[in-house]
Amino acid sequence: MGAGDPKDTAGQVRLYEMYKTFFDKAEHERRWNPLHDVPYDKINKDAPESLIVVAETFCCVESFLPDYVSSGINVVRPFFGQAWFSANWAYEESKHSVALMEYLLRSGRRTPEQMFDLQAKLMETKWEMPFSTARQMTIYGCFQEMATFVIYVKQEMGAKAYGDECLAAIFRLNARDEIAHCRFYEDVVKVLLEEDREGTVRDIQHVAKHFQMPGVGIVPDYDERIKVMREEGKVDRSVFLQKVFFPVLKYLDVTRQELQEAASKERAASSEERRTRAAE
Amino acid sequence: MASSRAELLKIFQKTASEITEREFPSISEGTVISELGIDSLGMLEIVGSMERELKVQLPDEALAGIQTVKDLIELVEKKEALTAGSSSSTQA
Repeated sequence: MGAGDPKDTAGQVRLYEMYKTFFDKAEHERRWNPLHDVPYDKINKDAPESLIVVAETFCCVESFLPDYVSSGINVVRPFFGQAWFSANWAYEESKHSVALMEYLLRSGRRTPEQMFDLQAKLMETKWEMPFSTARQMTIYGCFQEMATFVIYVKQEMGAKAYGDECLAAIFRLNARDEIAHCRFYEDVVKVLLEEDREGTVRDIQHVAKHFQMPGVGIVPDYDERIKVMREEGKVDRSVFLQKVFFPVLKYLDVTRQELQEAASKERAASSEERRTRAAE
Repeated sequence: MASSRAELLKIFQKTASEITEREFPSISEGTVISELGIDSLGMLEIVGSMERELKVQLPDEALAGIQTVKDLIELVEKKEALTAGSSSSTQA
């Protein structure tokens, strides 16, 4: 049925049209080269270590790209528009870690040995997909990309405040890609809502309930790093609701009350299941 | 009819237990919600459930500022007072 069914031509044409719009805009407005378009001559070599930790933490999270790509593209493999978006997404995301890596090396604050030791350590753990269906992963993409966008924007202000125009530029370029990715995911979810509102709302509720940022549990010293990022970016828990959760819901035209309804139904179903199991 | 603060605290305690499937025996108004291991989205689920029980609707923009149980209780109190005020003026 519709875009959620790989055999539904009209639905797949719709997704393909959305991909073409995304791709065309990206080609015209957002193409950049991490080796040439970043002002590495404007690095503040005296920036505090906390700012370097922020850059390194972003780099760590972006470094799980092989896992994000391999898992993410397979879940949308039957949906041409979404699969091709994933390939393009991977190309754009790959530049984020390269820019951050170059920054850390060219600033002289990390050596190649440190960076590649860190990369090797990161790759000892594998990122696992938090949700199993294409629809749930697309919804996850909305929240995750919007959250990453907001964090980059907040950290851009921090980098500027420390006079590091180079890192501010990297954060700005990365943020611009993240919000474009978020919009694509949101537009796909809007189509899915048109086709099956009840099921899609149920999935939005499920994803929101189990949402975690991708670095949780896989980036070394994650809690310590996040503490630094929160302090540097002035990010507290209210930011997630104000700048990520409610704006995404608003764009999707889904109310908190609809999610609440879905949550109540889910709770009732799981207690019924528990009762049935206990009776057996 | 407006609920007392003690009633609202009890409702919070009961709702938080139902949603998280954990017990919170020592909650007070000063409890910081995140310190109960409830994240911002979990808090929203509790809020939604309380809204249904109390038949009030809290504005989304006010929810992001909730840190403690007291913040939530005061928000509900204000909303209940507003609702009571508007229904009594309608009746008048």
